[in-house]
Parts: sequence; structure tokens; C-alpha cells
Amino acid sequence: MSENSGENSSDRSRSLLVLLAVAAVAVGFLAGFVARLPFEDSAPSTPAPDSVDVGFAQDMIVHHDQAVEMATIAITNSDDDRIRNIAYDILTTQQNQIGQMQGWLSLWDRALLPTGEHMVWMTESEDHGHGGHDATMEAEGASGSHLMPGMASAEDMADLRAARGHEFDVLFLQLMLRHHQGGLPMMEYGQQYASTTAVRDLAGTMVATQQSETELMTGLLAERGAEPLPMN
Amino acid sequence: MPSGSVSGGSGNSKSGAKSSKAIQAAKKKSGGARGVPPQRQIPWLTIGGVAVVVILVAVIAVSIIPKAQDKQALEAWTPSESNQDPSGEIEGVLKIDYPAGVHIAPGQRVAYDQSPPFGGPHDSVWATCTGTVYAQPVRTENMVHSLEHGAVWIAYNPDLVDDAGVDTLAAKVDGRTYTMMSPYPGLDAPISLQSWGHQLKVDSADDERIDQFIAALRLNRYTYPEVGASCSTIPGSFDPANPPAFDASEPGPDAVPMEAESVGEMQQAPAGS
Repeated sequence: MSENSGENSSDRSRSLLVLLAVAAVAVGFLAGFVARLPFEDSAPSTPAPDSVDVGFAQDMIVHHDQAVEMATIAITNSDDDRIRNIAYDILTTQQNQIGQMQGWLSLWDRALLPTGEHMVWMTESEDHGHGGHDATMEAEGASGSHLMPGMASAEDMADLRAARGHEFDVLFLQLMLRHHQGGLPMMEYGQQYASTTAVRDLAGTMVATQQSETELMTGLLAERGAEPLPMN
Repeated sequence: MPSGSVSGGSGNSKSGAKSSKAIQAAKKKSGGARGVPPQRQIPWLTIGGVAVVVILVAVIAVSIIPKAQDKQALEAWTPSESNQDPSGEIEGVLKIDYPAGVHIAPGQRVAYDQSPPFGGPHDSVWATCTGTVYAQPVRTENMVHSLEHGAVWIAYNPDLVDDAGVDTLAAKVDGRTYTMMSPYPGLDAPISLQSWGHQLKVDSADDERIDQFIAALRLNRYTYPEVGASCSTIPGSFDPANPPAFDASEPGPDAVPMEAESVGEMQQAPAGS
């Protein structure tokens, strides 16, 4: 009996040893995750290159950059003070926001522009209505276009530069309205899923201001007897 | 904390008498344990040491694995604080330091030291570089200014690149802001990429170094002089649908030299010539 219990004691020690080793690994992983949590919560560490924060900033810089270009043309070529005023507002606001986003990317030590496909950071849900656009973007990619929703093509921009008077004002409003609407899902996604407070806040500001500008431009278009463009 | 959990289980001398059910269960399962001497010491120090090492490895792995996954394809070619000019690792890139901000008067020419040039004095008006594909050659003095704003310029010899090659290059430019592309008659290679102070000549539009060059140098805040400058242009100063024409002739004796140093000096030059 005493011999048996001695043997069993040794067996037990062995299984205890295995259990301990497993526990140690588990505790190790847990400790690793716990140690990372404070950095992720307050996010003073740098968001990864494939994070929502970096993806939003890089793609929104591209999106804003074209709005600045369209607004620059409108300030020079429109004869209508109300059009020039909204163009000035968009130009200065979005150029400022580009600067903010480039500042973050610099602090995070990330590239200022995306290197791969656009909007790949929007992975969390499929209900933003751009699921259909992915296929469209793929198809366009083959023919040489890499445009995000709402972006004007090179032909659109050439038409805008060539237009004058009433025709210019209508085309500018149509292109800028579509541009605002196309950027909205990205802004809403950034507002919801970015890990950095400043990113969520700026994305939320973009949603609010661009929605009010969208209403204003829709009204200005209606005054000129024109219809908005369908989303591209 | 982890070593505490190890020492907490060290009631080894008492463990034999604790649970007879557990002992029975262990006895049934155990096969090879019979030859082990009953009084054998369990090496808790060794176990504890191994556990600490395992924990350390786990902690390190958890913090390092995501960083390793970050390095993907072109991402590896983008600039960072520790690798400010990744183009240094691209074979064939020519680098020259040029002083920034030297402007010429409209209509003046510059006696550039490179063809296509990638730095030096330039027109005060830059060429539109918001992902702009120019079908016709453009005045070089305007294109060089866009490089100062952070753009990458893809120049190609129209006699040496076929339509498919031009389409491949255009796909890298169209809709991608801070890039521009134009034919460059007389270019001594099929394709030449320029950013401020950097040039890479390649033979094929499919050369993988083209995308690497763009990833490394487009809007690279460590390599272009005028940080924050725009690629948009004001109508009236520059029209991308009708840009100032490329001049294939040799610059004359009145051309602005590369050594020109300030805007003030430049404004004197046309008056004297």
C-alpha cells in the first residue's frame, strides 16, 4: 500500500508538472496581452500600418486632396459669390484637415499616402453600401483607375476646368456633392472604429460639416434647376 | 507574479496523502512510472526556471509578432524615422543634393545638369501633379517645381515605350495624387522616374522598382523641400489640358545656370540679358 502510494505520488507530480507548464504558457500569454492593453486603450503607441487610424488618414488625405483641387478651380472660375464662398470654405477646411492627418501620420512614423489599394482598412462590416463598389473598383483597376467612391475622374476634372458660367457652377456642385456623399461611409467608419480619440473626433466633425454642406449644395443645385449625379 | 504561482504549488512532501481518488485514477493511467523511485525529489527550481523562460518568450512573442506582420510588400519601402530614404536600397537610384527654392522668370530656361532633371532652378509655377497623365511633353521648368512639392514624375521616351507600357505606367499615376507622367522626347532610357534629388532609369514598365521608387519617395517628408505644398494649380497660372510646351532644343547662353542660388539673383538675370 505504501509502495503504491509512493508510485502514485510520483505520477501525480508528473501530471502536476505538465499542468504547471501549460499554466505557465497560458499565464505568459495572458500577461503579454494584459501588458499591451494600457497602450492600446489610451493609444499613445503607434497604430499599425493596416489599422483603421492609419488607413483612414491616408485615404482621406487622397480624398480631401481632390476636393481642394476642385475648390481651387471654383474660386478662380466661378462668377457666383455663393459658389466661391462654399469653395473657399471647403478648400481651407479640408486643407487644414489634410495637415492634421499628415501630422498624425508623422507622429506615428507612417507614410503620408497609401501604398496599396484604397479602403482595405474598412474590414469590420459589409453594410456600408460600398460592397458593390469593391467589384467596380477592381474592374476599373484593370483599366487604370483607382478611384474611391465620389472621386472625380481625370475627364471630370478636365470638364470642370473647361466649364464657365452657369455650366461651371452646376458641374462644380454636382462633382463636389458626389464627392462628399462618396466620402461619407469612410468618415462614418473612421468615427466608429478608429482607436485614437483625435481620429474619431475629426472623422465625426467631417461627417457633421460635410452633411450640412451636402444640404447646402443640394439646395444650390435645385435653385439652378439641376439634378445631383448618381454615385460612381 | 508568474514565479509566485510556481512556488505556490510546492507542497511536495505532503502531496502523497491527499486524495486517494486521484491516486487511484493516476495509477490506472500510469504505465512507465513504475520504475521511478518513490522518494524522488521534484526539481521545483528547474521547473520554476523553465516556466519563467516560457513566460518571457510568450511576452516577447506577443509584442513582436504583430510588428513582424506589419512588414508587407510595398509597406517595407515607405519612409520612417529610422529609414528616411528607403530608395537607397533600390538598385540604380541616382541621388544628388540640390538647393531648393530657386525660381526663374516666366519664359526663361534652365541649363539643367541631368536629363530629365530632378532638381535645380525652376519656374515659379508648378505643373499640376494630382495624379496627372500628360499626353504631350510638358515644359521641364514647370515639372521640376512639382518635384519640389513632393511629387514623383514618370517620364518615358515615346519612341521606346509601346502603348501597353504607357497604359501600365498611367495606371500607376491616374487618380494617385502627387504623381505625374509625361512623354520626354530624346530620353536616353525607355522610362525615367524623378523625385526631388532622386532618379531611377528602367527599361520596362513592369520593373518592380517603379512601385518601390514611388512608395519610397512620393511625399516623403524627409526628401522633398516644400513640405505641405499642393499639387493643385490655379486656373490661369497652369492648365493641365494645355500645359506650356516642352522645348527639345539646347538651352541657349542666356539660360539660368544650375549654380544659381537665390530668387533675387534670378530676377536680375533677365534684365541683364
